[in-house]
Amino acid sequence: MRADPLETAKEAAVPALEMRGIGKRFPGVIALDGVDLALAPGKVHALMGENGAGKSTLIKILAGVYGKDTGTIRVGGRETEFRSPRDALRQGIKVVFQEIALISEFTVAENIFLEEYPRIAGGSIDWKRIRAEAAALFQRIGFDVDPAAKTGDLPVSQQQMVEIARALAHEARIVVMDEPTSSLTPKEVELLFVVIRRLTALGIAVVYVSHKLDEVFEIADEVTVLRDGRHISTKPIGAHTHDSLIHDMIGRRIDNLFPRVRRHSPGKAVLTVENLSTDAKLKGVSFEARAGEVLGFFGLMGAGRTELAKAIVGYDPIRSGTIRIDGTPLVPHDTRRAVGLGIGLLTEDRKTEGLMLELPVLQNMSLASLSAFAKAGFVDEGRERSAVQSFVDRFRVKTPGLGQAIKNLSGGNQQKVLLARWLMRGLKVIVVDEPTRGIDVGAKSEIFALIDQLAGEGLAVIMMTSEMPELLGLSDRIAVMAEGRITAVMPRDAATQEIILNAAIA
Amino acid sequence: MPQSPSLAASAPPPLFRLFVGRSEFALLVALLVIIAFFSLASGTFLTVRNMTNVLGQASLAMTAGIGVAIVFISGEVDVSVGSLVAAVAIPLVTIMNMTESLALGVAGALALGLVVGAVNGYLAAYAGINSLIVTLGTLFILRGGVYLYTGQTAIPDDAMLESFFQIGNGRILDVLPIPAAIAFVLLLVFAYVLRHRPFGRQVYAVGGSPEVARLAGYDVRRIKFTCFIISALLATVAGILLASRLGSAVHVAGLGFEFQVVAAVVLGGVSLSGGVGSLFGMALGVLILSFLSNGLGMLDLATEWQLVITGFIIIAAVGFDEVKRQRR
Amino acid sequence: MTSETLPARRPGLLVGALADKSQVVLIGLLVILCVAISVAAPQFYSVDNTIAILRQCALVLIVAVGMTMLLIAGEVDLSVGASLAFTGCVAMDVTNRTHSVTLGALAALAFAAAVGLFNGLVVTRLRINSLIATIATMMILQGSVYLYTREAVQNKHQLDAFTAIGAGYVGPIPIPVILAAVIFVLGYVALRFTLFGRYLYAVGANQKAARLSGLRAERLKVIAFVITGLCVGVAGLVLCSLMNAGQPTAGRGFELTVIAAVILGGTSLAGGRGTLVGTLLGVLLLKVIDNGIIILRWNQDLQMVVPGIVIVLATWLDIIRRKADAR
Repeated sequence: MRADPLETAKEAAVPALEMRGIGKRFPGVIALDGVDLALAPGKVHALMGENGAGKSTLIKILAGVYGKDTGTIRVGGRETEFRSPRDALRQGIKVVFQEIALISEFTVAENIFLEEYPRIAGGSIDWKRIRAEAAALFQRIGFDVDPAAKTGDLPVSQQQMVEIARALAHEARIVVMDEPTSSLTPKEVELLFVVIRRLTALGIAVVYVSHKLDEVFEIADEVTVLRDGRHISTKPIGAHTHDSLIHDMIGRRIDNLFPRVRRHSPGKAVLTVENLSTDAKLKGVSFEARAGEVLGFFGLMGAGRTELAKAIVGYDPIRSGTIRIDGTPLVPHDTRRAVGLGIGLLTEDRKTEGLMLELPVLQNMSLASLSAFAKAGFVDEGRERSAVQSFVDRFRVKTPGLGQAIKNLSGGNQQKVLLARWLMRGLKVIVVDEPTRGIDVGAKSEIFALIDQLAGEGLAVIMMTSEMPELLGLSDRIAVMAEGRITAVMPRDAATQEIILNAAIA
Repeated sequence: MPQSPSLAASAPPPLFRLFVGRSEFALLVALLVIIAFFSLASGTFLTVRNMTNVLGQASLAMTAGIGVAIVFISGEVDVSVGSLVAAVAIPLVTIMNMTESLALGVAGALALGLVVGAVNGYLAAYAGINSLIVTLGTLFILRGGVYLYTGQTAIPDDAMLESFFQIGNGRILDVLPIPAAIAFVLLLVFAYVLRHRPFGRQVYAVGGSPEVARLAGYDVRRIKFTCFIISALLATVAGILLASRLGSAVHVAGLGFEFQVVAAVVLGGVSLSGGVGSLFGMALGVLILSFLSNGLGMLDLATEWQLVITGFIIIAAVGFDEVKRQRR
Repeated sequence: MTSETLPARRPGLLVGALADKSQVVLIGLLVILCVAISVAAPQFYSVDNTIAILRQCALVLIVAVGMTMLLIAGEVDLSVGASLAFTGCVAMDVTNRTHSVTLGALAALAFAAAVGLFNGLVVTRLRINSLIATIATMMILQGSVYLYTREAVQNKHQLDAFTAIGAGYVGPIPIPVILAAVIFVLGYVALRFTLFGRYLYAVGANQKAARLSGLRAERLKVIAFVITGLCVGVAGLVLCSLMNAGQPTAGRGFELTVIAAVILGGTSLAGGRGTLVGTLLGVLLLKVIDNGIIILRWNQDLQMVVPGIVIVLATWLDIIRRKADAR
């Protein structure tokens, strides 16, 4: 928090941070291609772009999590290399990550001082000071979090506040916030903005990553837009209008991003959920999904979308309520029978719940329908192979062969394989949870087209999403969740961003 | 796990959670029940002599258990301690026989321990080999090395130093066995380190989430490396105590010791997946198993029962713990 | 963006080929060892010695087949050594009492399978890490075998058929080798061609994904534990017949040898990867080393040291190779 005003004044002419020509390549994807970013001390610099535009990668390079392949980084005019997060921290760069980066077994106070424990003479940790300073810090920024609570016991929104507070606990030159408001209430967002203004008054450069336009127009001084891993524009915020900013972010692709080809005529209800509750989150959720429609579920972080998805496919146990597929009740906590009845989940967490990373495309795609290729317990690999090949062709999965380990494919192609896993099995209801997370824009529209096509073929598609364009672009009906309940259900035509957000915050 | 002292300070949690939430409390109750049961069942159990004997016997597993627990907390495994306790006795006794100096012998033993710890730590933390494989490997290599060197016999302690005899067999004020005192002091020291030194907190952080630890600027590999060194050095201390009790470097010493220690550590609530557990719990785990085995012996129950009962207790305790964790 | 650019690596580098590649290393090692030992001690290269090596491999291989499946499914069983000894005692005792080799063998299989079932249930129902759970089972078995019998159970029935299991021949080939070969082939077919085998890989590679795809992950794991148990049953029978007694102390450290061989063969402790061909090579390598040490009249205690070094080195090489591949 403290910075020598004299020193910051001297440095005012020099950018606090300058990144030039940053390039980064992952197996199967070029994440960044010659990106520039310059931060002025005491200014808020918004970094914008769609998912997959390269914002997160750029921030992770800035935080020392990833090494860059090309380009230079200067801090306060001096060229430096970040080989590890430690290097970045030493240069005074604090990052508030989107994923919660806290030790859940530790208390809030301890997490705040994780990077550097205050010590008493003799080198022991000064627990008293940790408690006192953590309490003082929260009071100062007005966040209502108990510093003595075990971090893992707190709701996500409070953990996010702890993350933010942690970045402010130590002296910083640059504070990076990656979607810091994704689970905050409007009141908490206001508090955050007060904090940010106080930081800039001290000469600290703030990077603010968000795709919420209103927030950016309120807080930012400058905006840099990335698209598809490339630098598109850097302008003062005053030079932008809503439309020009959106145009920079999306380019011309908005027209064909959501290619609706089907003339939907939803049929009868295939999935009926009544009064579903779980110990963890859900409270009396009831809805139905009809054949041939996309039912979009929107909610802020922690609203219970993923929990709902996992409960209705029989993965997680439920406390009460019923789930019926075509009238047949589904036995809770039994995925085998659920799949048998024709409901499956395309998970939001591909790596830990979807992919068998080390195994080839073939095995990954045929997993759910393997028994269909088996006779007397023996797998007919010829049939399996030709079925998989036909899906690879149809979905245009880019892979050098069916034997390629799936970890070497790009996110979009991995997602296509996982979608094919279910289509090959033949479902009545498919639940897709954040179907385009971590997928670049080019592949996104292909995934959208596939989802659209599924509904066209008569499947009931339930789509969990936190992306407003995705929700509005694909859904036939929209359900909004907040705190484990459904707060609103509406046809697409009756929905606006405002109505949806109001229902999500309620 | 050790709640940082902050818990006690502001807004104390309900009494219920303070106790039931802490697995140590359940262990303490279990220990007291075991002691009470055997006191009633056997007249010779609850005597100062027997109690202190058990403490003396428990001290080896306790000493090595500190190190193994620390490695577990950091998210790795160390099963090489069983062979290491036998291996370090060789330089210890050999050097003492040559130089008549306990200090030089201990230095030799510690040097060997340091090398083994460094090898384990390098291969597991820096080369990235699964630590179970690494330490299984060193378990084999060290035991084989001991057999090779000794020709499958014990190396007698010819120096017969009184000081060497005392560290394993002496008693402070004629009551407390010296090994128990040593184990207790080490326990306090490392419990302090884990709670009150940044290194200790970093061990928990690294085990709890290596990714978060890295983001917080920790050198995850160096921390894990250090944990293996600590574990090997503490196993060395256990090996020295054992050699003193046995009066020689015995080639078969410590066979299966690694399993005893791992069992006690896990019973004490230290999670195999890292980031969770306390030395206090580990110590209770060791004591429970030690008192159990002593008491069953007193009841003239075949010593074999001890193994059987221990096995079931581990399954029950760990299973209970896991099921409880699922609930939350 | 050309996001769909494929990684810059040789196309068609299949996972299958990868596994083969690590097996090439093992085969190379094996050949070098055999040549070196033959040069140093010509008697190594003889029919008698080859058969001796195979016989030594048999016991380890039988259990290693089950253990490979278990590791592929992402679990491990450390109780196989203790179970081996107990099974031998049960087999001899039941045969003594009933004078029926069939009943003795069935009892052995039933006992060992029950141990496997117990392990499987403890691991899947109580959700205890299998490393810990099976250490506990090991303790239980080591203790209870002494409660069952204080001394070795001697052969009182003198049935030839029983002795033949471990010591008999069909033509020039020892029966244990045949048993091992049959179990190996069964295991190979099961892993390579059946639904069950494919499911084991899937469960080990990603249990959550497998469950979401409608697989009964826990049941599959229990079955893998029971199969390992059955393998131990056969091995226990062979061992007991070979020693002509049920030895409660037999099998100490056996679990480590088996796991070492399996890991050496390229099966991952993390689950989802591994092959029985690799396991076979791992067993052969360890036993050729053993045999070489004996034939060269080196100190037999090297039999513990060398495998330890080989395991660590082989795993290290594997990591280095995979890192190189990833580039």
